[in-house]
Order: sequence, then structure tokens, then C-alpha cells
Amino acid sequence: MASGRDVRDMLGLPMGGDAPKAAQKSRPKPATGVRRPQGVAREVAALYGERPPPVAIYEEKKTYRAKRQSTGPAKKWVQQPFTNQARSDGLVLRHWRRKPTTAPPITSGEDTVMEDSESSEPYIESNGDFMKYNIEVEVPQFTDEEYDAHLRSNDWGREETDYLFQKIKDYAFRWAVIWDRYDFQAERPQPPQDDANGDSTALATLPFAPAKARTVEDLKARYYDIAAKIMKLRIPEVQMDAEQFAQYDLLTKFNPDLERNRKTLAAALMNRNMDEVKEEEFLLTELQRINMAANRLDAERDELRARLEAPAPQKPVEPGLTAFPSSQQLATLFNQLFQQDKSKKRAPGNGPAGRLSLSANEMVATPGSAQQQQMAAANRRQSVAQPPPQTPIRQLAPQQEIRFNVSTHDRLTSGVSFGSDKLLKMRQAKSNVQTQKIAAALAQLSIPEIIPIPTSKVGDVFEALIGKVGKLLDVRKVREKEEGECRVLEAMKTRRASESQAGAGDASNVNDSSANYTPAKSEVADSQDTPDVDGDGEDDGDDGDNDGGEGDGDADVDAEGEEDDDEDAEGEDADTSAAQSERRGSTSTRAVSAGHKRSASVLSQASSKSNKRLRK
Amino acid sequence: MASTNAPAAEYAGDEVSAIVLDPGFSTIRAGFAGEDVPKSVCPSFFGYTDAESDSKSQFLFGENAIHTPQANLQIKNYWGSDGIVEDWDAATKVWEYAITSRLTSTKPSNPLQNGLNEGSNGNGDTMDVDIENVEQAEKPLEDSPLLMTEPGWNSSKAREKCIEIAMEEWGAPAFYLQKTGVLAAFASGKASGIIIDIGASHTSVTPVLDGMVLRKGVQKSPLAGNFVSNQIRMLFKQSQPEIPLTPHYTVKSKVQVDAGAPSQATYKTFDLPPTDSFRRLEEERVLTEFKESVVEVWPGPQRFNMGPSEEIAKNQPGRPFEMPDGWNQVFTADRFRVAEGLFDASAALVDSDNPRPKDEHTISRLVQAAVQQVDADHRPMLLGNVVVTGGSSLLYKLNERLTQEINTIYPSTRNKLIAPGSVVERKYAAWIGGSILASLGSFHQLWISKKEYEEHGASIVEKRCR
Ligand SMILES: Nc1ncnc2c1ncn2[C@@H]1O[C@H](COP(=O)(O)OP(=O)(O)OP(=O)(O)O)[C@@H](O)[C@H]1O
Ligand SMILES: [Mg+2]
Repeated sequence: MASGRDVRDMLGLPMGGDAPKAAQKSRPKPATGVRRPQGVAREVAALYGERPPPVAIYEEKKTYRAKRQSTGPAKKWVQQPFTNQARSDGLVLRHWRRKPTTAPPITSGEDTVMEDSESSEPYIESNGDFMKYNIEVEVPQFTDEEYDAHLRSNDWGREETDYLFQKIKDYAFRWAVIWDRYDFQAERPQPPQDDANGDSTALATLPFAPAKARTVEDLKARYYDIAAKIMKLRIPEVQMDAEQFAQYDLLTKFNPDLERNRKTLAAALMNRNMDEVKEEEFLLTELQRINMAANRLDAERDELRARLEAPAPQKPVEPGLTAFPSSQQLATLFNQLFQQDKSKKRAPGNGPAGRLSLSANEMVATPGSAQQQQMAAANRRQSVAQPPPQTPIRQLAPQQEIRFNVSTHDRLTSGVSFGSDKLLKMRQAKSNVQTQKIAAALAQLSIPEIIPIPTSKVGDVFEALIGKVGKLLDVRKVREKEEGECRVLEAMKTRRASESQAGAGDASNVNDSSANYTPAKSEVADSQDTPDVDGDGEDDGDDGDNDGGEGDGDADVDAEGEEDDDEDAEGEDADTSAAQSERRGSTSTRAVSAGHKRSASVLSQASSKSNKRLRK
Repeated sequence: MASTNAPAAEYAGDEVSAIVLDPGFSTIRAGFAGEDVPKSVCPSFFGYTDAESDSKSQFLFGENAIHTPQANLQIKNYWGSDGIVEDWDAATKVWEYAITSRLTSTKPSNPLQNGLNEGSNGNGDTMDVDIENVEQAEKPLEDSPLLMTEPGWNSSKAREKCIEIAMEEWGAPAFYLQKTGVLAAFASGKASGIIIDIGASHTSVTPVLDGMVLRKGVQKSPLAGNFVSNQIRMLFKQSQPEIPLTPHYTVKSKVQVDAGAPSQATYKTFDLPPTDSFRRLEEERVLTEFKESVVEVWPGPQRFNMGPSEEIAKNQPGRPFEMPDGWNQVFTADRFRVAEGLFDASAALVDSDNPRPKDEHTISRLVQAAVQQVDADHRPMLLGNVVVTGGSSLLYKLNERLTQEINTIYPSTRNKLIAPGSVVERKYAAWIGGSILASLGSFHQLWISKKEYEEHGASIVEKRCR
């Protein structure tokens, strides 16, 4: 109808041959493009243009529409008069209701009634639909005697109390409203005159004392007090059940002063000025930041601990999403991958990472990629159900590995570490003395403190070197020990030779050593029993001792737990150092105590050591 | 049959064709409860012709009548300056007109009552006679309970007067009075909040808790629509050259002139020029247009006459305004100045008739005073439900400024302004709330019935409409 022809006509454009062409052109369009939804005027549909409409249009099919149920002629509705059951005055209002069809005589009668506007007896519905909203609150009731006996107050008259209770009832315990509307006028001596005056200004100027200004707390206090007393009168305290008693307790506990204070505080909180609010905001964000940092730190520590503990070999090796049951885990995985990807991009080419995982475009560039792709394609063809191929691991020839500086690891520690750090760590032994010895040995070999280029290869070599140094040191220690024992034995031999007639010498020696041994033993026991009684008054005097003992004890335990061989060596080391310190007669209590302790432990382990030596 | 039982749980409505009447200083809104806009919106101004020859036709009501220039036509308003009805006789008539002209006109065939033929000169006599007849025969509200709104500061005398009119003059079967603040809150779906109503004669701030006004907190001030109108008048007077304020009725035809150039319109001539009050009413219409299209509230954060605000305002694109006589100009900074007085008394324009407004009458101070009167426990909650309503709250950017001001006073609470987006909801919020309330099934037990009124007298309204 309103075609391009009309538009042209309206705009005064030349018509003629163009018009039919345009029509032809426009015809195939609907077929190719989106079909015009039914029921939408063409002009409206044209407004959508080529793109789909901004809102989804669902064509309402005729079949979906529920059939209109025509059960006879249109139902009649009447304005039905009704009374409200919640009212006592029988107010009749009218609302629209279906005209009852069941009783024809009534309907006809009512019909006429409606017309006559309720002249005769109309049917009046009694409506209680909304009765349930008619809620009255319960306030305790009391008699005059009860009031006189228990509820009197200096501050409150009977009348005002009644007034308060009425207000509470009226406003259903909305204390703010009760207080707002609370306007108790002490009894008026001449009500008629009052009426004559008629306005409130006259009232205010009347001679009797103005009503007290009550605060919400005053009102509450009075009410709670009475409620509690009445409750107690009705149910003696002992007979109250838990709930009742809780309520009673609550009622008696009300403290208006506390409440007032709380409110002034609340008001003060609200009336803070902008600066204070800003400051608080700042502090809160700071707190949040700190908390977050703490959480992060905790998480990092946990992670570290988890790493140090079992490597969790029971983790399913099978790839795919099953390893990540929760979406959260999936998200973290994604994040990790994303981060890796990012870091890879940041430092392309330089791949110190152990596993060589190639991304797709890298694969294309590598010579083996064609094959890989073929394989992947084959896989794809083979089965659809197969899990997606894992990140391909390329096997490199050992030569290539060296060339590209590629290394493989079973387990990677997170984060970046410096090769120099690693080297430095290797220099450190379990004990200071050992470390010093190693340092001395390295110095002898003229290896500098800091190695200029600590590549991983250098690291490996250095590790081997350190291992050798360690072994040598061990051997030296053993030798020294043996020598020392030899000396002792020789000394004993000479002594025995000199005092050959008396056999007591042996015994005294034993006593000597045992005297040497006992106090140290007790110290060790001390430190183990109560590891954290450092500051106890009991052993104030040997605080330092205790500390030392404790520290050593720790070290001992560590050593024992981790490496047996080392322990052996260390024990000897400690022994020798103890021997040295004894020889030197050092005055440092700490060293002495260490010496005691060491010697003790050495003595206690003497048998096992000798066993070992025997084995050797 | 099943459908006759109202599914009370979901929809607690029960419509009893109650009428809701929301009288304001500028317009009276009336309509049936349950509808979403008032069917009848009539000006509160009424025409009054001095009895020259026949003393009968004295009052003229309705848009059509009062805007027709006519000699001797005085325009009046029944409201007192304190926001309480002053002229009760006139009020009764205007309200009745608002109800009967569109809602309860009994016989649609009667052309004298359907509000279409008002003010036609020949029918004056017969119309009055007819109305009297009708009133004798049946009162206008015989079938419909009436819910009326009142300002938060209404006196108890005025309230009793309202129920008297409804019961005795209109014969309503039931009556209820509710405060505009509460109803405006209902219209926004809130039972508690602080309602800022910026109307024509008054701005009011009403704290409402659980559907009840906290009376001690109710605040009002005269800084509202009319105040802004007066500011604009002063702006026009004080500009150089003076801007002529020409109402529509004086102009016969106009021609296009350049901005700021004097108008070259031809004006109508009247044998007996209309009265000043009529001219003022007509000027007010032009001013409302000006308010709607030009005036803007300076949104802050600083006050308008502080710091660089005025400079910034000057550099913003202006808005053009054309008087009915063709005079036109682009207003830049001035369009902010006329509304600034609502928030900053020191920025208001003054002249001999319009003294400087009081500081405590600015909207922000009203809010502060209202909140101060509320129990400390409820303040944050109320500040989270600040409902803005009233025709003058439609001033452009008023909400931004209000938010800004409230946040400055109460930086530590979560303040939230609720301002209905649609113009209708903003202007008629109180009526809409009344419409909701009066169509609730549970409300019908609150009505003061005729019987109760007869039993207890007018004072029952104090007891029941709390
Ligand atoms: N779009 C608008 N922009 C600015 N002001 C407007 C706009 N529309 C109406 N007004 C003004 O709003 C006022 C009317 O508002 P409203 O109808 O809420 O007042 P009212 O309820 O009759 O008066 P009151 O509440 O004082 O008794 C008038 O002063 C009018 O100029
Ligand atoms: Mg209003």
C-alpha cells in the first residue's frame, strides 16, 4: 500500500521506471533476510533494518492460546454491599462481585434492589477476609488494688500510667511513635472552662504544673517495670518456664541510663563530621588492606608448608577437568595458566623453566610441528571421546638440551631463585663450625666467595665439590677422633703403669666422668620438659645455659630426624669442639654449657657410635 | 463461584469505589481509589466575580473558567498562608467541583454538571438552580467513602471541619484523613522514611515511621514553587533592561524578534482590563513554563555563590526562553540563581516585598531539624529512605543538589534519595498513596463511618486518624 511509489509521490521525486524496479528489488529481500514476524506492520518491521530486533520477538501462535471458554452469556457483576467483620458499627460498603448464578430468585430480587438502591431487604455479604490483619497488642492489665499494692511510683501517677498503657496499645509498642505522640496533660480542674477557651495557647498559660517531659527511656522504664512486676504477680518466679523467665529477666534488666548513654553515643556516631568519617574510612580500608595482606601471607605460608610436606603423589594423574572438581579450582587453574602465558610472553625465548611446553604458534615454527599436527589430527579423527591431548612434551637430544639450556625437574619450586643463592646455600652446613671449615677448605682451593656466573652447570659442579669437601672433612674428623682416643688410651696406659699397684684409679676416672655427665644430663632434661620456661624464676641463674641447651637440643633433633650420617659427623664435631673449649678453658658459659651438653649426648650415644665404628 | 473470593494472600485489594481527595495549594487531585492517576485535577484557584447586577453567580471553578479573561473576575485561593485551609466555604465548593465534575456526576446527560460548560455566560442561573436541586436530592458522595489528605501540620480544628464537610455536606458513608507525607511514602512503597514534599506554597519534611507521622519532626517552610516563582519575577525586574513578563491572554499576535530585542507583538485590548489577581494567575502559568524549561538547580558540590561555581555556570550552554509575546533570551547563570534560595538563604534575591528567607527554612536545614527530632535509633534507617515528591521537586537537578546537601550534613550514614522518575508519580504521589491505601481490604476497618460520626461527633477524627 504505502510503497516507495507513495513516498516518491510525497517527496515529489520522479517516478516512472524506477518504481516497479524498486518493488521488484524489495520483493526477494524478505525471502533472503530475516522473515518479517507476523503481526508486525511492515513499516514497523522496516525500522529494525537488517539487524535483528533489539528484543526477542516471540510469535504468538494461535495454537498456544488457551481457548476462551464460553460458558453461556457474559457473567454479570454486581456491586455487592458488604459489612466488615472487623467493624462493630455495621458500616456497609460495596465492592464488585460476581453476581451469584445459583439462586435465580435472589439474583432477580437483588437486581431490582440494585436498581432501587437498597429499598427493600438487600443481601448483605459479611466479609471477614481481612480480619486477620486486625491485630491488637496485649499489654498487661492490672487492678486498682494491684496498682496500689505494687505499682506505685513517686514519679508516675495512676492516670499517667494508664495514659501510657493506652498509648502503648494504640501504637503497638512503637516506642518512637509513642514518645512522639506522648502528650499527657495532668488532670484538668475545670474541663468546661477549658472547652470554652478552646485553644491551646490558653491551655499552656493555665496555672497548673506542665506535664513532665518524658524521654523514651522513661516511658520504657515505667512500662517494663510494671510489666515485670505484674508478670511476677501472675506467675511466681519459680514457676516460670524458661521462656517466661527469659522475658522476665529482660524486663527487669532494663536500665534507662545505659540506654540513654547508648543513644547519645549512637547520635554522636551519626553526627561525626566529614573529616572524622573520612579518617574512619581510611582506617577501615587500611585495616582491610592489612587483613588481606595477612591472609595472603598465611596462604603463601600454607602453600609453602604443603610443598615441604608430602608431595601428594596420590593426585590423579589423569588429565582433564576431573582434577578440578570445583569451579573455583578451575578458576585458579585458569589464572595460573594465564599468568604463565603472560610471563612467557614477557620473556620470550629465554626459557629457564624445566618443562618445555610449547604453545600452538611456537609449534608451527618448530621443525617437528608438522608431524605433531598430523598426530593431533589423527587423534581427533580417531575418537571424539578421547580427552584433549596434553601439552606436548618435546623430546630433545641431550646435545640439544645442553645447547638450549633445557633441564627437566620432577618437582619445581614456585617462584624465581637465583643461582648464586643456591651456591651460597650449599656453603652453609648444619653447624657454624662446619660451615667455617668448609669455607676454609674452599679458601684453600682458592674458590672465590662469590662465583661470577652461577649457571646451573656451575651449580652442579660446585655441589659435587662441596660434597667432596664435606666427605674429606668427615674423614679428617674421624681421624682426629681416633687420634684423640689413642692419646687418651695411651695416657691411661701410662697412668696405669705408674699406679699399677692401686686399682682404684679406674674407678675414680669413672666417677669423674659421671660427675661431668650428670649436670649436663639434667640440663637437657630441663630443656626438653619445659621448652618455654625460659623466664621462669626457678632457673633464672642459668637462663643463658638453658637457652643454649634448648637451641642445641633443637639442632640435635633436626639432625637425627633428617640424616643419620650427618648426625654422626656432627656429634663428633660437637664433641671435638667441646673438647677444644674444655681444653681452652673458655669462660663463656654458653660454650661451656654446649660443651657439657655435647659431651653428654656423646656419652649417651657412645655405645651406638662404637657400634657403628665397629661396623666400619 | 470460586472467583468471587478474593485471593487475599497475594492481592489484598478490595475496592469499594472510595474517592481520594488530595487538595494542594496549586491543584486539587481527586479520583477513585485503585486507579493509578487522579481522574480529576483542578486548580485550587477559583474565580470570584463581584456581584454587580445579580448576586447569584459568584464562583467560577475549573481550568476553563478561571483562565478566561473577564472583567471583575477576581482570582482567589482558599489556602491560608500557614498551609491550612482558610476559606472553608470556598474550599468546600472547589473540592466539590473537583469531585463532581469528573467523578460522581450522577447523570451524564446533564450538561451542566459534567464540567464542560463551566463559565458559559448564559447558563449561570440555571446551573446554580440545578446544583441546588441535585444537592437536595442526593449528596455528591452518597455512595463513596472519602479519603482525604491533609498536611502534616493540620490543626485539629481543620481536621474536624473536614469530616464535617464530608459527612454533612456530601453525605459520605465513611471518611478518613491521612497525612500527605505518609501517603507519598506509600506511593513509593515505603512505610518508613523521610518525605520531602516541595509543593507550591510549602515545602515540608515529614518523618514517617511504620506509616505514622512523627509529629515532632514535621517541618515546613514557605520556600517552594511559589517562592521560586517570586525569585523569577525579581530576576526579571532586576535585569537590565527589565524583562517583561507578559501572560498569554494579553497577546493577540506575535512576531519573531532577535534575542533580547523588545517584543513587537500586538496586544489585545480590553474595555475593562482583568483584575490584578487574574493577571498574576496568568503570569504564574508563564513562570511555571519558565521553571519547567529553564530553571536549574545548581548541583553542587559547592554553593552557587561560592568559589568558582558561578564562573562554571556562566560557561555552560544557556537555555533559551520565549515569552508569549515573542521576547526571547538565552539564560545562563541566572537560571541557577533563582532556585538557589531553596538551599541557601543568603543567595536568594530580595526586594522590598520579598525579604531574605530564613536560614532554617532552607530544605537542607528542614531535613536536619526533622531528623533531630527523631529517636537516634531510627535516624539512619530514615535517612536511607528519603522520598522526594511534589511538583517543584521536578526542578532540574534538584535531586542531585539534595543528595549533595544531605550527604554533607550526614556523611556517616547511608543516605538514599527515592524520587519517582515519572512526572505524574512525583506530582501526584500523595494521591497515588491514597489510592493504594483506600483500595486495601484491610483498610476498610479504619474508616470512620457515618454512624460513628453521629455517635461521637467530629472529634472522633482526632482519635481515629492518628
Ligand atoms: N516541571 C516542573 N518544574 C518545576 N516546577 C514545577 C514543575 N511542574 C510543576 N511545578 C511547580 O510545582 C508546584 C505544584 O506542585 P504540587 O502540585 O506538588 O503542589 P501542591 O501540592 O498543589 O501544593 P502544596 O503542596 O504546597 O499544597 C507549582 O508551583 C508548579 O509551578
Ligand atoms: Mg502538595
